[in-house]
This record gives sequence, C-alpha cells and structure tokens, in this order.
Amino acid sequence: MANSKILIVDDDPDLRQALKLRLRANHYDTVHAVDGYSAITQAHKETPDLIILDLGLPAGDGYVVLERLQTDDRLSDIPVIVLTARDPQSSEQRVLKSGAAAFFQKPADNAELLEVIRATLPKVLAPAPMPS
Amino acid sequence: MTASSTHVLLIEDNPGDADLVRLRLVESKSPIAVSCVDRLSDGLASLTSRPPSVVLLDLNLPDCQGAETFRRVLENSPDVPIVILSGHDDEALAVKALNLGVQDYLVKGSITSNALDRAMRYAIERQALLRSLEMSRKQQLEFKNQFLSHVSHELRTPLTCIYQFVTILLDGLAGQVTADQRDHLETILKSVNQLGAMVRDLLEASRAEAGKVRLEPHCVVIGDLVKLAVTMMKSVADEKQVGLEVGIDSRIPFVHGDPDRILEVLINLIDNGIKFTPSGGAVTVQACLAATDPDFVYISVADTGCGIDPKAKALIFERMYQDPNSIDNSRKGLGLGLYIAKELVTLHSGRMWVASELGNGSTFSFTLPLYSLAKQLFPVITYQNSLRDGLVLLKVELRPLSKPIRGNWKETCQHSLEILQRCVYLDKDLVLPPMTTHGPEQTFFVVASTDMDRVSVMMTRIREQIEKVVDVKANCELQLSAEPVTLPGTGSAEPLAQQVQDVADRVTEMARLAPKTEHNSGNGKMAPRRS
Repeated sequence: MANSKILIVDDDPDLRQALKLRLRANHYDTVHAVDGYSAITQAHKETPDLIILDLGLPAGDGYVVLERLQTDDRLSDIPVIVLTARDPQSSEQRVLKSGAAAFFQKPADNAELLEVIRATLPKVLAPAPMPS
Repeated sequence: MTASSTHVLLIEDNPGDADLVRLRLVESKSPIAVSCVDRLSDGLASLTSRPPSVVLLDLNLPDCQGAETFRRVLENSPDVPIVILSGHDDEALAVKALNLGVQDYLVKGSITSNALDRAMRYAIERQALLRSLEMSRKQQLEFKNQFLSHVSHELRTPLTCIYQFVTILLDGLAGQVTADQRDHLETILKSVNQLGAMVRDLLEASRAEAGKVRLEPHCVVIGDLVKLAVTMMKSVADEKQVGLEVGIDSRIPFVHGDPDRILEVLINLIDNGIKFTPSGGAVTVQACLAATDPDFVYISVADTGCGIDPKAKALIFERMYQDPNSIDNSRKGLGLGLYIAKELVTLHSGRMWVASELGNGSTFSFTLPLYSLAKQLFPVITYQNSLRDGLVLLKVELRPLSKPIRGNWKETCQHSLEILQRCVYLDKDLVLPPMTTHGPEQTFFVVASTDMDRVSVMMTRIREQIEKVVDVKANCELQLSAEPVTLPGTGSAEPLAQQVQDVADRVTEMARLAPKTEHNSGNGKMAPRRS
C-alpha cells in the first residue's frame, strides 16, 4: 500500500527539513510549499492526503490558504493541521472556525502531532471481513 | 461661550452661598460661564449632558449628604475636577476627600475671588495632568503586552527548530548515537523544554496583568481536578523521590471556576513544592471546607522542604521574585509562576497566601468560590413560599464521534448551551454551568420544575433545537436523559430554605456522578446507568 502524502507549508527551511525527516521516518511521503500561493498550487498538483500549515506565510497567510482550500471543490476534503508559533488564545478558535482539523502551537510534541496526523488522515477503506 | 471660557457647575442648595460664589466668579478676570443647581440629582444630570470644566460642590444637599456626595460625583464623572465648598464643620471630611480623587476644597465664608480662581485653575490643570498620565500608563502597558506577545512568538520559531533536530538526533533518525551523546542531547532537550515553559509564562503573566485572561466557568469537582494534577506531576515527584499525597473532603460541592486555570494553579504549586523539597520528603495536596467561610473551598499544597525566609514571604508573589537562597539556584526560571497562580486565583475572586517556617516546609493555600446551587435554585424551585411539586434533573450529553474532533468542538458545545438556555423556562428551570469533564465530552444539567411526563416534551424540544443548529449526526452523539429528584423523607415540615438546600444537595450528588463515569467512555462503551 502506498504511503500517505503530506504537504508541509512553512516558510522556514529548517523547520520544513525537520518535519520532512520526522514524517518520512514515520512512513509518510512529504512534499512542501514555502508560501501561501505555492501551497495552493502544490495542493492541486500533488493532491496530498493531509496538509500541515503554518499561519505566518508570505504571499497569502495561513487563513487565506484555509479559505482557498475550503472554497475549492477539489481541495476542500483535504484535512489541514495548523502548526504555528502564534498564541492559541488569539488564533485557535479562528483557525478551527476556518475549517482546520486541529491546532498546534510550536514547538508541538512529536508524539502528539503524529497521533493527530494518524487520526486525521482520511481512513483508507478496509477490506470487507471474510464471512465466517 | 467661547472655547477658552471656563464652564463651572455649581452644586449648592443654599441660595445665599450660591449667590456669594457667583459674585466671586463674576469678579474673576477670566471668562466664566456658571450653571447652578441645588440638588445632586440635577448636578449628575448636568454632568452627563453637558460636562463642565470644573465642579464646585457643596457637601450638604437636600438629596445627598457628606462623603456620599463627592463619591457619587466621582463615580458619575471620574474625569471632571471637583472643588469642594465646605463649611467649618465638615472641613475634616473635605481633607479626606482629597485622598479619594477630589482636587481641592475651599472653606465657605473665607472665599476670595483670587483663591477661588486659583483653586479652579489648578484643579483643572491637575486633573488634565492626571488624565494624561493615566493614558500614557495605559499606552505603555499596551505596548509592553504587544512587545511580549511579539517576542514570545519570535522565540518560538528557533525554539521549535532546536526541539525538532534534537529529537531527530535522539530518536536515531540521523544515525546511531552513543550513550554519552544521548546524555548530552537529553540535557539539551530538558533545557529546550524549560525555555518553552518560560516563553509561555512570559505571555501568560503579561496577559494576566492586562486583565486579558478570560475565565470559562464550569461546575468543577475539585477532587477530580486535584487527582488529575497529582497524576500529571507523579513522574516529576518520582524522579526526585518526593512523595505526593492527597486528602480531599468528599462533601465539597461544585466549585465555580475555570478548570483549565485551576489545574494550572495546582500544577504550579505542586511543581514548586517538589522543587523545594529534598528527596524523601513529601508534598501533600488537600481540599476542605471551612465553617467560617462557607462560600469557598480551601485548597492547600504543603511541602516538607526548606521553607521560606520571613523576609522573602512578603515578596514571593511578586513578579520576577526569586529566592536568593533557593537550593535549585542554577535554574531559576523567570519567577513568574506564583505571580500567575495568584492572579488566576484572584480572577476567580479567591485568595492565595503562604504559611512557612525556615527549615520546616511551606504551605501554599488558596480559596475558590463554590457554586451556590441552593442560592441559584431558590427563586426557581419555590413558588408562593413552598417547594414546587415536581423536580426533574435533565442531563444533556454531547460526545464527539471522531477523535480528533473535526470542526470547532468548543463552539458546538457553547452553541448547545445557549440553545439549552433558550429551551427552558427561566422562572422555573435552572441550567447549571457546564460540567467539567476530562475528555472532549460535554455534559449539561437542567433542574426543571416539571414531572417525568412533561419532561419528555422538553427533551424533544431541546433535541430538535440543537439538531437544527449543530450538525449532530455528522459530528457527535447527543444524548438526553432525565431522572426525578427525590428527596429522602418528607421534608415539608422543615423551613423552606432547608428544603431548597436538601434539593441542592441531592442534585449535586446526582450530577457529580456524571463526570466521573466518563473517564472510561473513550472506548465507546456506555457508562453503567444508575438505577
């Protein structure tokens, strides 16, 4: 079975690299985007199973990306996990209202993030059980 | 009236005194417009409709006398300068008024035109100065908060980077590490976590100071929260070989507070206790009621540590205070923990204090308000001096279907609560604050003055209304149930207040079983129902 593909959207190259290493070690394929504009074009091109999205981005911040994803029929089903340095008290509610599946403040605990990724990824249909 | 003229509001009921002051004002060189009223109520109306440059205030008016007079003017218009016109008999009061925000006073009978002119001019100038000071203080505070918020945001990005790559190395994702290297990496990780906690505290403290912490009050079972905090701190205590003990009075009713914030306070105090207690010692968390203070629960965290110097005791809740003799001197932190804890307790209208003796440990105590169910129930469940006939406890549970939850769960719960409040009769039903649960499940209770037959109508209505707004089927399981509130024995001979108290106790007992049964509901099994 093919690995799930995750699109990492972050303008910090080191963080992108770290997430890539972490996710690949957990058997996910990764692609990346460095700003709001390329996030959308990459989402179209790569059709990822899940997007990890930073909020503070050049060329269209995270909220713009969330809105574009939500209003695009081909992309609106892709779950988004927001991973940001911003304060949850001012951002979390707005992020969730904008359609994200989860909110994490940086630095996010690896185990927790992986657990939520696992649970958020669209379920692959399991083969029907054999009749006994 | 030109822009530069001074508008004087004279509040004086004695026509002779009023004329005299008016005369002195006319003699004044600067252009002055005077309005004169003889009652405080008219004065307050005039202050609101046409704010004057200065108020000349007599303290003995037909509708208000003494200190109350200037107190009400100050309350109505805190920014308007006041000069009191006192008699010889109330000069002492006028002096006192200066400490409470009044600018000046003049003793009637010895008022010269010059003195009046000068008093008014200085009063106006001082008041303007005070106002601009207050404004720049607010601006500075706002600037400081923005700065801290910005700094903590910017610090998080490099912090995340360090955390990510250290854990990548530690987890062997970049190749094998030796035992020594592992040790060093773990030291880095520990420091990163400390730094992360400091960044969090920095923002939290500035938010507390600016009054920007919002509480979301719930009905909290304090015993459960204490146990949760102790469970969370167990590994820290074990590592240092410090015992963690709990003593909770089981009769404590619901606490009215924000469970997340209370947990923060508890964790903070327990963490501190462990930090200052040597191996082999113990930290004990207790919650109890005090007969002398029936509206509050008393919670204490006692350690067997080094104790606090009496000189330090007064400073310990201050921001940035750090004990110079701390045994943990190498890692001091920012010294914001106790400050934040105290602010959070104060926000709950509780108190926090410490009792300690050098070498004999410390006990940090705080109070939290109890949810006074009986007080809330009284107007709802009584009618014409007796208890209403039927009382039913209605339970509404919302449980998310998927984990993690898709969409905005917090808002779903808030929405449901609002709907619930609209679905009941406010004069005979009471919606309790949401129950604290330790999972995403949310439980609401309604004490309804109705019988079991009619409650089903109510339940249908609530279900319909919630389903209209919340996409229940896609998101969550909505469960409604009802149970009659039966009292042990016939209590109708007792005084009404006692009967209401009995109902409150019974409701508390019935409701507090609910959050506890939800601990193990994660695997989809239904909690056993009480018969």
